[in-house]
Amino acid sequence: MEVKFSVDYDQNEKGVRLKDLITGLVSDPEPCRGITSLIIGDWGAAYEDTMDDAIPALIEASPLLPNLKSLYIGDMSSEECEVSWINQTNLGPLLAAYPQIESFTIQGSTGLSLEPLHHDKLHTLTIICGGLPKSVLNEIYNAHLPELTTLTLYLGVEDYGFDGSIEDILPFLNQNPFPKLKYLGLTDSEIQDEIAIAAANAPVLEQLDTLDLSNGTLSDKGAEALINSDAVKKLKHLNLNYHYMSDTMIKRWKDTGLSVDTGDQQEVDEDGEYEWRYPALTE
Amino acid sequence: MNRSPSSSYQQWLASASACILFGNPNNKRTAGWQQARAHHHLSSALVVPYIRILHTIRVGESLDDLLQAVFQRQSHQSHPIEVASSISHQVPLLLRLDAPGDHFAVERELIALGASDAEGDIDDRLVPLDAYTVGHLISATEARRLQPQHGRIWYPAQWFRGYCRLLSWLQREVSILLPQAQWMNDPADIAVMFDKRRCHQWLHAAGVAVPPLVPDLLGQQSNYEQLRLSMEQHRIYRVFIKLFCGSAASGVIAYQYNPRTGAEIATTTIGIDHSGHEPFYYNSGRLRRYTDSATIVQIIDWLGREGMHVERWISKDSWQNKAYDIRQLVCRYESGHAVMRLSHTPITNLHLRNERLLVDQSHLSAEQVLQIQHIASAGLHCFPNSFCAGIDVLVPSSGGHPYIIDMNPFGDLLYYVEHQGLGTYAWELQQWLEHECI
Repeated sequence: MEVKFSVDYDQNEKGVRLKDLITGLVSDPEPCRGITSLIIGDWGAAYEDTMDDAIPALIEASPLLPNLKSLYIGDMSSEECEVSWINQTNLGPLLAAYPQIESFTIQGSTGLSLEPLHHDKLHTLTIICGGLPKSVLNEIYNAHLPELTTLTLYLGVEDYGFDGSIEDILPFLNQNPFPKLKYLGLTDSEIQDEIAIAAANAPVLEQLDTLDLSNGTLSDKGAEALINSDAVKKLKHLNLNYHYMSDTMIKRWKDTGLSVDTGDQQEVDEDGEYEWRYPALTE
Repeated sequence: MNRSPSSSYQQWLASASACILFGNPNNKRTAGWQQARAHHHLSSALVVPYIRILHTIRVGESLDDLLQAVFQRQSHQSHPIEVASSISHQVPLLLRLDAPGDHFAVERELIALGASDAEGDIDDRLVPLDAYTVGHLISATEARRLQPQHGRIWYPAQWFRGYCRLLSWLQREVSILLPQAQWMNDPADIAVMFDKRRCHQWLHAAGVAVPPLVPDLLGQQSNYEQLRLSMEQHRIYRVFIKLFCGSAASGVIAYQYNPRTGAEIATTTIGIDHSGHEPFYYNSGRLRRYTDSATIVQIIDWLGREGMHVERWISKDSWQNKAYDIRQLVCRYESGHAVMRLSHTPITNLHLRNERLLVDQSHLSAEQVLQIQHIASAGLHCFPNSFCAGIDVLVPSSGGHPYIIDMNPFGDLLYYVEHQGLGTYAWELQQWLEHECI
């Protein structure tokens, strides 16, 4: 069973608090045993406040949620809060309090950290944001996640918090620290071409089933490196959905017979002499 | 052979199935209405072009003069007006007003009619908020010199005053010349529906759910600074700012500021053109996202000067990661076509290449669909002299009751959607024939 809590504007103004909702949930332990997925949406004016005051209640709730497999922090649409305005916090202690979960999803990167990031069962980690700080990239790279099979990171743009460069991404491609990783998503990036070029012949491809470079500014430049790579041909799937590749390149991908998602082609925004490409989550 | 045009005009007026359509000829709306007439085996409507109405007002002629001239002209042209002989219903003369938009000569003449020095018979009684309908003003002569500029939003408050004057004239002339005729939507109601500020008051007073206003902002004096002050005082950080008389996405801004960082975002179709000696504002075909304060202040101050309506931004529900609202067509006795409009952006209007979905293909439960129809009907019932409107309904992400976010007296131009096997116009006409005719 999936449970979602969210505190909207009116509830927040009326004094409804996330921590009380959590405490209310676990006050009756029996139904809690059936909960496999817990989603925290807007915790009330997420553009203004973190969810710090609800974290102790969430940590206390953990033993009462023995069958929880999936935890999502910050599932809110841009109708509720701009993703780059969500005030996150250090979610390391929260994750540590949930050794039973297998999937952890975070939305928003402002103020985010993951310290410590040690988890023996986690197989899926997803961070959805407008721009991922390099401090978080480093925390993930140095994490202890022996069971991790699926890692999806929205890298985003500088304006919304991506303060790194290709140098901060290369370690994931060249000395990947997760032995069981099968799915690597380095997505929603404004340097998607650089990532594609670096990924095309990276050692990590040998262990992957799927490389996901979707939702970014990928153009023919990055695609050319991918399409010429033998390592890419061995993948089970390549996700390039939402991209700036040409019709010709899309046709070339079709002709390879590979399993490649080339859907959602974008048009370059031409403004005088400039050409603008935007990742999906930053428009 | 010897029948004079005037006697055939009188005969037509008295005929059982006559309909007059005040609109712009040769557009999709007019064509759609004529097709609906044909579908129901009714004679074509007499199309009275806005441009002719405006000319008639200007030169001080009467509606009778205008109708005779138009009748004769159309009788001699490709669309003869037939006097239908065998009609099963007893149908009173039906008058239908359609949208004046997408016609530059009409727009220019409406601005001229809204000028302080407008010629002809000027009557402001249908201007819903007279004291607050004063934007940048130009003379009638200046108005007639305007040259088309793609997308430019011209003197909206003056345009609206001109349109209300036209509505007043039509309403009065009809009451004198054609007292037996029935308006599908009464001109006075159209004026109120068009003014978002007045329409909001009207619905709210009747107990129909509309998004709460940002307080203290009614009036032409409101500007960016006052807006921010009021937002801060009332702890409201997300609002929709609408040009009071805009249609569709024209003149709409989704505005938010971050109380923690001070960052602000204005998402809108409004662009500023700086190429001439003074900046002007236009509707761009794509959505823009402004984050620099100077531009945001400039646009909001301009909107405030023309007249703006500011509502709290209620989070819309999402479906497949896209926010949506519903355009619900309602006639007096029944709900009709409904279209879900989905977008990755806060502004869902169809023009902006957003997606649309028929409501019965969506995730909405039967109960939600009923709630949407119910509030749309409640909205229309606030206008007992109107038969039909396209009503935009917001379903909040919190899962609470829906809200009306816009009423469109001309909101029935919906493509590729059927209800009871009929397109919008044919369905409306069927409703009219069933319920309004003996």
